Amino acid sequence: MSPKAVWILAEQREGKVADVSYELITRGRELADQRGTELCAVILGDNLSDAELQTLIDRGCDRVLHASAPELRHFLPEPYDKCLQALIVKEQPEILIAAATSTGRTVMPCVAGPLRAGLTADCTGLQIEADTGNLLQTRPAAGGNIMATIKTPERRPQMATVRPHSTRPAPSISGRTGRIDRWQPPADLLKSRVRRVDYTPAVETQAIQDADVVVAVGRGFKKGDNVELARKLANVLDGAVGASREAVDRGWLPYPAQVGLSGKTVSPKLYIAVGVSGTVQHLAGMQTSETIIAINSDSEAPIFNYAEIGLCGDLFTLLPMLTAKIAAAKQS
Amino acid sequence: MNSATHSYQPISTNVVKELSDLLGASNIIFNDPERLEPFSRDEAADCETRNPELVARPGNAEELAQLVRVANRERIPVTARGAGSGLSGGAVPLFGGIVLDFGRMNRILEIDRANLTITVEPGVITSEINEALRPYGLFYAGYPMSLETCTIGGNVAENAGGGKAVKYGVTGRYVLGIDMVSPTGELVSLGGKLVKDVSGLNLLQLMVGSEGILGVFTKIILKLLPLPKASVDMLCLFKTIDEAVAAVPKIMTEGGIIPTAVEFMDRLSFATSCEYLNESLPCADAGAMLLITVDGADEKQVEHDYDVIGEQCLAAGATNVYVADTHVNSERIWRIRRAVAEAFKVFSPHQSLEDIVVPIAAIPAASAAVNEISAKYGVKIPCYGHAGDGNLHATPVMPPEWTFEHWHGVLPEILMDMYKAIAKIGGHISGEHGIGHKRKKYLAAVADPGFMLMMRNIKTALDPNGIMNPGKIFD
Amino acid sequence: MKIIVLIKQVPESQATRMDETTGTLIREAASSVINPLDLHAIECALLIKEAAKEKCEIVCLSMGPPAATKVLREAMALGVDHGVLLSDRAFAGSDTWCTAFTLAAAVRKLGLPDLILCGERATDGETGQTGPAMGAFLDLPVISFVSHIEQIAGGWRARRMLEDGYETVEIDGPALACVLKEAAVPRLPTLQGKRLSRAKDIDIMSAQDLGVSQDDTGLKASPTRVVKIFRPSHLKKCEKLPAMDPAQAEKAVDRVVCLLKEKGLI
Repeated sequence: MSPKAVWILAEQREGKVADVSYELITRGRELADQRGTELCAVILGDNLSDAELQTLIDRGCDRVLHASAPELRHFLPEPYDKCLQALIVKEQPEILIAAATSTGRTVMPCVAGPLRAGLTADCTGLQIEADTGNLLQTRPAAGGNIMATIKTPERRPQMATVRPHSTRPAPSISGRTGRIDRWQPPADLLKSRVRRVDYTPAVETQAIQDADVVVAVGRGFKKGDNVELARKLANVLDGAVGASREAVDRGWLPYPAQVGLSGKTVSPKLYIAVGVSGTVQHLAGMQTSETIIAINSDSEAPIFNYAEIGLCGDLFTLLPMLTAKIAAAKQS
Repeated sequence: MNSATHSYQPISTNVVKELSDLLGASNIIFNDPERLEPFSRDEAADCETRNPELVARPGNAEELAQLVRVANRERIPVTARGAGSGLSGGAVPLFGGIVLDFGRMNRILEIDRANLTITVEPGVITSEINEALRPYGLFYAGYPMSLETCTIGGNVAENAGGGKAVKYGVTGRYVLGIDMVSPTGELVSLGGKLVKDVSGLNLLQLMVGSEGILGVFTKIILKLLPLPKASVDMLCLFKTIDEAVAAVPKIMTEGGIIPTAVEFMDRLSFATSCEYLNESLPCADAGAMLLITVDGADEKQVEHDYDVIGEQCLAAGATNVYVADTHVNSERIWRIRRAVAEAFKVFSPHQSLEDIVVPIAAIPAASAAVNEISAKYGVKIPCYGHAGDGNLHATPVMPPEWTFEHWHGVLPEILMDMYKAIAKIGGHISGEHGIGHKRKKYLAAVADPGFMLMMRNIKTALDPNGIMNPGKIFD
Repeated sequence: MKIIVLIKQVPESQATRMDETTGTLIREAASSVINPLDLHAIECALLIKEAAKEKCEIVCLSMGPPAATKVLREAMALGVDHGVLLSDRAFAGSDTWCTAFTLAAAVRKLGLPDLILCGERATDGETGQTGPAMGAFLDLPVISFVSHIEQIAGGWRARRMLEDGYETVEIDGPALACVLKEAAVPRLPTLQGKRLSRAKDIDIMSAQDLGVSQDDTGLKASPTRVVKIFRPSHLKKCEKLPAMDPAQAEKAVDRVVCLLKEKGLI
């Protein structure tokens, strides 16, 4: 008998499958193939279209399990927890992975608790242990300076949240087929003591954790008005503006822009740290970025140890120059 | 005799060759304006700058002595430079010539636990000394606030002070021995690992704070203390400057405890700094703050000490006393103090960081005098600094709407007014930054003429050709 | 009204330095402090108490070795009314599941409060799982990534940060909220607070006091096992370019543009 299925918790916003779900497929497909079993995407929402659900199959799922109800349109903790828990109890998947997003990081522990399942947070590596078939979950700890590999030998499902952007989204393959199951949860699972009363979109146009390019603002900017220089650079690169703790504490940028131990962890393709000295706490939030460029007037700043190229000079000269030259390069 | 009367020779190609043979070509910078430029200034704002003709990086005392002999023979000025973090223009080669870079003489030579001393070369970064000592449970207490950048050679030459001087005193208190090269190129050894020593004139302490005009150091022996194991900072809010300042002598004398640091900030200083840092500490009603540190051998002791001092502050009218006994909280209150200068730079890039020192009891009078001058010229002059030492960084800040030329016309008048007012109440020009060339005309205007004469005579006796750091302290 | 704030003692991260050659943290006999993010939770509790019309009691609950009483005293110096420490060898090695289970048992003993607050995550383990899991054990609605919370009639109004914006929710009855650092700026302890906190008692509870069996707490009961720990190196050989004067700056910027082209980033 083949082992039980590998599940991913796909996410949707406003009825559209969120991109992070496709990254989970990359992870899940690999695990399912190694275990010789089925990959199933669970997605909670309000009556998503077949076309939308099919994208999960196109990108590598064998099955989509859609829990559908108006109460599941937005992420509300109680209905999400209860529905996911009921599905797990019913179908007993071997592995369940979710994204380490606000949804994943909230729902997964709430589900793992009552199920007495092991749960590992914010993994950057997932593998199957050869002889036992256990899931090996690797995650950074202590600000990214230590990696720990964790397993759950006895309890099932083995649960983990996965750091967004830690792998590529699975590509779409035309002609893939799979099964779409829709499930209408019973009313008692949909009760909620929490009501959504208002929603305000983020101030900055692009969230830093989703951006391919992040331009980070540090103390070197001297005052809030100067952040405009970083915005201009981010704009020509279609990127987002991040910030060190210092820059957020001084009110130059809002908290959602903060990168580091007490802010967000990002790993974009390109991270340009400007006037950021590179404290241990900041490095923890960005050192896994693919390409790091640092601009700092202090040639001894620790950030240079993590950068591919470091410019030792005045950011007020360098930033406008870089912005102009990139704009020109894109034109030609 | 003064430096203006000496004539100096430009460095000839023969001399360059001689120095290059002596030190190795890679330890000479010559004829390269781009690489010489960083040696043209220190951290004193808007001061005169000039490139040296040559930068030399000696590797040991013998090389240095030979270099000085050449310079003395050829009448070439020699200016020693540590990290260039000075605030008086002391390391600026006003007459060109040679600037000495101590980057190669940066070794810790010995930690002597039996005698509680450390022996270092002058190019050692000051913070490295305490890092090296930490495993031994010892520390060097004379360090200034800029310890992460400055070098020990510069600290000794300027007799640097800092945040902890209230309890531990300034650099000179810890200097037990100096090996140096005299202006005529002799190797001289002063002092040693001795706690007391009256064998002849105290030339050792003459060299401390001599701003490089009497010779250059090659080796320094420092006294060490046991490292305090616990430390707590307090931020005390007062309604008025007078109340805050009046509390200081009480703290120093009536509680039987000597705090490690007593820092003062007037409203203008802390309000600007807090705004810059976006610090939301409730201090709208405060007119002045004291930042007090106590340290000691264990937590219980320190707890007792801060209780006593905190109570004294409350009794003296403090409206609130915050206690920071974690690194995060200590950092949070110290950064208010440390960011004052930076915050004003954002307000206006031109400011003149002054360093007046008055008897502790005269701080209110000093503050009043500074306010009067501030009103007279329409220039903000925040006052902050080391209240426990009577040492205040009164810092005239250029109004952003002024032109730089106008500022440069008015600033000398402001400073002259300020120094005269400070001298009147028994104070002096500089507590810890030194005279350099930035403040020499003010020193000449307010100092005792007999003192000026004695200094000149000493200089002439030791440096007949006037080659050592000419143009500093006096003309 | 009663509020329980969960706090954890963590090594003081500011006391750590990076070893430049190995890229690892050097912890220099780091003293323990309240997890920095928990301070924001404490501040939220204090603000709620100050705004409340009714009497409000704030209890800080922590699990750890006996030395963790220090962080509870720190909390009480800020204005927290009581401190409770769960301390027992039996708890040692608990993973997030066991920790949440044990804390939930303690909350049941102490009586279910109107609100449980915790920091978004601890700066050492960085899982952020204990709070939500505990909410599930206690059947409380869990509001995570909270940037603001206030009391309303019959419950709470909270704003939470999602990936693309902020959502305001209202909760009927008791809740558990995990707060972000932007929820409130922690106050500093005062001299008076420090002195009051020294005189207060801290309740210490064991596994037996809680009625938690060894099958449910500690290393052996933990579903997860750490298999190995290793140190990654993110250090790079940096191509450092001087860019102090305009000519250098231009050259350096050209080099960056060139690299971005090579990597297909523009």
